[in-house]
Amino acid sequence: MSASERLLKSHRVQDGPLRILAASGQLGYGIPEAALQRGLARRPHLIGCDMGSIDPGPYYLGSGQMAAPAAMVYRDLELVLTAALAQGIPLIIGSAGTAGARPQLDATVAMLRAIAQAKNLRFRLTTVASDVAPEQVVQALYAGQLQPIGPMAKPTEADILQCSHIVGQCGTETLARALREPTDVLIAGRACDTAVFAVLPEMLGYPVGLCQHMAKIIECTSLCCSPSARDAMLAELDMDGFTLESMNPQAHATPASVAAHALYEQADPFEVDEPTGTLLLQQAQYQALDAHRTRVSGAQWRPRAQATLKIEGAARVGERCVLLAGVADPTLLAELNPALQAVEARVRQLVPGDWALHPHIYGQGAVRPLPPAQHSRHEAGLVLEFIAPSADLARTAAGVFKQNLLHHGFPGRLCSAGNLAFAFTPSELEAGTAYRFVLYHVMQAAPLADIFKIDTCTVAGSPSEVTP
Amino acid sequence: MLSSGKPPTLASLARVLRSKNAGPTLLTIDIFFQDAAGYALAAASPALSVPAVAALYQADPAQVQRHLLPALLAIKYALPRRLCAGTPGDGDVYGAQQHAPMLDVELDVVLDVALDGAP
Repeated sequence: MSASERLLKSHRVQDGPLRILAASGQLGYGIPEAALQRGLARRPHLIGCDMGSIDPGPYYLGSGQMAAPAAMVYRDLELVLTAALAQGIPLIIGSAGTAGARPQLDATVAMLRAIAQAKNLRFRLTTVASDVAPEQVVQALYAGQLQPIGPMAKPTEADILQCSHIVGQCGTETLARALREPTDVLIAGRACDTAVFAVLPEMLGYPVGLCQHMAKIIECTSLCCSPSARDAMLAELDMDGFTLESMNPQAHATPASVAAHALYEQADPFEVDEPTGTLLLQQAQYQALDAHRTRVSGAQWRPRAQATLKIEGAARVGERCVLLAGVADPTLLAELNPALQAVEARVRQLVPGDWALHPHIYGQGAVRPLPPAQHSRHEAGLVLEFIAPSADLARTAAGVFKQNLLHHGFPGRLCSAGNLAFAFTPSELEAGTAYRFVLYHVMQAAPLADIFKIDTCTVAGSPSEVTP
Repeated sequence: MLSSGKPPTLASLARVLRSKNAGPTLLTIDIFFQDAAGYALAAASPALSVPAVAALYQADPAQVQRHLLPALLAIKYALPRRLCAGTPGDGDVYGAQQHAPMLDVELDVVLDVALDGAP
């Protein structure tokens, strides 16, 4: 019998608390092993891991590449896979490979297969693909069923068709459908962080508001603690609330730290929209059990008649080349913007074509606006982004710009041998393809059962062959 | 604190002052105060009103939300990002350093009498 069937058939809510172990909030950056082992010793009923986010920006969704280093992803997957199989409990991983697009889901599954091969493991694997067909989004656009989340420009049909990947965030409704299949390991493409941890508790009949609140807090593991940490987090859930306990003895879940975490990365502190409803936190209570554990209760749930779908899409902007240089001459620092404009005008004469320049001047307001009077006169760092249809053009613009800025004759110049300090050469670095988000929208009346494709198979490694 | 004549900065009263994306289109700023007195001063201060914070971030005040959370001794803001995260030209993909303009905000003490007769 698979791990999911065993749990769903054997556990009743009256049997006592359900123990959910959140092993990672960002699988692939190194799961702390000691805390994971302490968590496993508590005999959890399931292990959940979040593997992705939209936070790292449009590159990962656009390119289909993983943000985390492959060797570390392999290590982390091996840790949680062997742990879950050894204990015979379900392992659920959401937002495979950072953005949860098809190439990232496939790469994650390929690693699981490689681990199974290397360690001779056998398990039932269920996958959820989260890719949304561009034509379906275009249809929603014309039907008036695309609503931006925050200030997002209305996309054109061409914008949508230019997206290299479009994904939808699946929620508990889809993961529950996937878990109808006998499953030891469930890997979802793009998924709501919370659904990963809430789906099995909801299927077992625990109150949805408590399941969702618990999931919202533990999806970042011990980030909700004081001091915050990255170690595994255990939630013990019953019908009236849940108890939170970090598996790092030095990270304490206090009422203040847990309540504060409910605000994290969230625009509204009291109402959290999820696909199947809204989590209501006005009545939430946080109570210290001891110095290390906090008991949480009181969250309510307002279900929605039809589950909504949040979609994300990224499109290529061009190829990026970045010029890195320092400036220390106070006269140039006082007139840096006019100097950059003058050089750009000259370079546009020399290098025709559709290239764009995005200057970031560190020390003079690159991270936040800074009045000219406060601009650094000591030194500044230039990060000049060139984006063009081809890598050659971006590199050409960057290279010619560098040489022209190096020898630009600004008014009052004393440093006639050169204006720039390079930490290394070449100082212009090819940075691959640049992407932008085109879609961060709610798609209404989306046919979820069509969009999210569920597949299931048995993964079986074989003993490594002994070659003579 | 109030007798020194110099208004306190937000940084001097906060236990946590952080910013982060709430999705790629919005920025959220959380301030947790060290004590109830600091929270009360901040919650009443015009320097932390929606129009003042909108001006600080060059945002449309109509799009800035503020939540007062006395039980947590916290104030939370949500506001639009100038550029969608990671769009070429953006300078802070995670939005994790946009708390900085708040640090030096001086909390002008509001006395009821001082407001009398204000236009």
